[in-house]
This record gives sequence, C-alpha cells and structure tokens, in this order.
Amino acid sequence: MATDISPFETEMNRGFLQVLVLVLLEKDMYGYSMVKQLEGKGYKLEENTLYPLLRRLEKKGLIKSKWDISKDRPRKFYVITKDGRAVRTQLLAFWKQQNDVLDYLIKETENV
Amino acid sequence: MSEKLETYLDEIRRYLASSKEKQEILTEIKSHIMEKAEEEYGEMTDSSLAKIIDAYGSPRRVAEKYMDDQQIIAPTFKGHLLRYTAVLFFVHFALTILAFIFKTRLLILPFFYIPKMDNFQALFYFPMIFIYDLGLVGIILYFVTQSGKDIRLPWPKLNLNWQNLADSRQEKPRIILLVLMILGYAALVYVYISYNTLFFKSLNPGGIESFFSPEASKWYSLALLVFLGVGILAYFVKFFAQSEWVNLIRSACQLVILGIVINRPIDNAIREFFYFDIHLIANLIVAFIALLLAIDFLKSLIILGIKAFRKKSLAL
Repeated sequence: MATDISPFETEMNRGFLQVLVLVLLEKDMYGYSMVKQLEGKGYKLEENTLYPLLRRLEKKGLIKSKWDISKDRPRKFYVITKDGRAVRTQLLAFWKQQNDVLDYLIKETENV
Repeated sequence: MSEKLETYLDEIRRYLASSKEKQEILTEIKSHIMEKAEEEYGEMTDSSLAKIIDAYGSPRRVAEKYMDDQQIIAPTFKGHLLRYTAVLFFVHFALTILAFIFKTRLLILPFFYIPKMDNFQALFYFPMIFIYDLGLVGIILYFVTQSGKDIRLPWPKLNLNWQNLADSRQEKPRIILLVLMILGYAALVYVYISYNTLFFKSLNPGGIESFFSPEASKWYSLALLVFLGVGILAYFVKFFAQSEWVNLIRSACQLVILGIVINRPIDNAIREFFYFDIHLIANLIVAFIALLLAIDFLKSLIILGIKAFRKKSLAL
C-alpha cells in the first residue's frame, strides 16, 4: 500500500504558505480572491487554512487588514506591511538556500 | 441567510469558545462562503451553500485551525503529569488510610480534606482522590504552559524501576510454600477449634486464657482466619492464573477485612487487662499492616497500568 503523503504535505505547506501569502499580498487582496488567483495557476489553497494563517500573520504585524463595506458584501482586504516585506526578503533567501542544498545533494547522490 | 449556513457558523462559534475574535472570524468565513456560492453557482441556494460548506470542512476542524499554536498542557509535560500525580496520590492515599484507621478527619487546607469515613465510603474515596490529584496537577501544568515561560519543573526521581517491578511479580508460585501455608493454616484452625480463640493471654496448662471476652475472641479469631485465608487462596489461584489482578483483588479484600476489624468497637475485656490504652497500640499495628497492604495495592495498580500501557504501545 502506498504511503499517504498528505500529512507530509501539510507539514511542508506550513512554511511555504506563509511565504506565498507574503508574496501574494504585495497588492490588496481578500481571501476569496487569493484562492481564485492561485487556482488559476493550478495551486489549490485550502480555504480553511488560509484565514487562520492570515490572522496569525496579522497578529505578528507582517500584514494588515481593512474591512471594505462599500460593496453590497463586506470584504476583508489584506496587504503586506513594511515588517512583512523585511521578513519576506529573509524567508525567500532562506528558501533559496534550502533549495540549493537540496539540489546539490540530489545531484550528488545521482552521481554516485 | 440559509439556515444551514447559520447552523454551521454557530457550531464553529461553539468550538471557538476561548477565542476573543470570534465574531470577526465568523464574519469572514460567512463572507467567503457567500461570495463563493454566488461566483461558482450564480446564486445562493440551499444546495449550493451546502456543497461549499461541505468543502470548507467540519466545524471542529475549521475551529482547530485557529488554535493550532494553543496548547492546554505542553506535550513535554506529559511525563510530569504522570509523575506528579503518582507522588501526590501516594501521599494522599497514605493520609487517607491513616485518617480512616484513626477514625478522624484530616485537613491540610486548601489541598486536602479527608473526611471521617466508614469502610465503603473509604473504598469509593480512593478513585475520587486519584481524579482530584490528576486534576490538581493538570491545573498547575496548565498555568505553567499558559505562562509561556521556560520554567524548569523539578523531576521527582522515583527510584523504583517499574518495568523491573512488573517483571519481578511474574515469579511462579512455589508448591512447597503453598503446602507450608496450608499446614500453618490448618494448625491455626485446629487451635481455634480446640480453644475458641487465637489470642492467648496466658498459656499455663489448665489455665489457658484469651485476651478477649469469649464472643470477641471468636470474632477476632475468625477475622484473622479469613484474612489469612484470602492470602492463601490468592496464592493458590496464582498456580492457574498468573495475573496481577489476583494481587490487586487480594490486597483490596484484605484491606476491607482490616477496615471491618477497625470499625468494630474494642472489646471491654481487653481494657481490664492492660493498664494503659490498648486501643492506640492495636490501631498502630493495624495501621502498619494497612499501610503495607495499601502499598501492595498501589503497586498492583501501577503494574496493571504499565502492562496496559505496554500492550497499547505494542499495538501501535
């Protein structure tokens, strides 16, 4: 029987989603629009994971939010903060470093 | 708004009990679900909402995701929880036995209040103190966890190796011991039948006297015979069933017998013989036996616990 990879996926996603959201929120967006945009790129973002994540990032001051009630339905818009940008830069560098190490190791084992 | 959506949000609200920003969380979820229904199904109908709600996840799962980083008791304290409870329960147990034997109540406020109890109340009191101790330790660890500080909790060293203890109890019963026990028991029964007592004040030939009045002699002797009989019977049963349950039931039965003995008003005949109050000395002796039995009882409980735990971890 093949191993169910969903728990591992969830673990890997945890960090990835933070960076993803920080990159996505360079411009104002609300939850549903974020899900839609990613879906367009073929990435399925779990809705019930997104909102708690947004809340956590907001609490840490990396993003900020504002309710827009000008339309007939209220929407909560999020956008990245200055602190968020700084964190994003570091996280992307970290992610690149992780990627490089993995690439290097995979190539090395292939050569053995 | 659809009734189904209302119910759904209400259930999430219930699971979010401790969250301060409940209303905001729910408004956001509601706005998301309604927007998706309109975008993807063109209109908000009961059936479109039902599909979207199903896809969003069960209320409990949704609420859980908001509490990912909130722990009631840090998993690293699991060992402390068990250890502290064990130590506290042991103290509590011993105090309860003492309170019971001396027929008094014990107060160590605000932590302990042990009421004056009779046999059966005492038996039911033990599970209660266990739950109390577990709860008390749980509350303390809860506050330590919530404080978020890196507090180093003392780690009581229980110098008993429970694993070895569990194995050492597996020893096979020996036939020779059983025979000796039965012979000794038969001798006691013989003495009892001949003299109607097992407690002698004087053994002068022709002047054999009992400690107690005839009626009390009979009563105390029979109690002793039953007490020993239970022990021998348990040993006999071990030839067929080598289970810790035998020890547990044996010590529980013997504790009950001791309890009955303690509860009996002391015989007047004995008071005339001694110049000082025998009551206290008798109680101290019985207290000592009761304490040993209580420790034995606890050991059995712990061993059974370890075995159940082992079985569970093997099954995993």
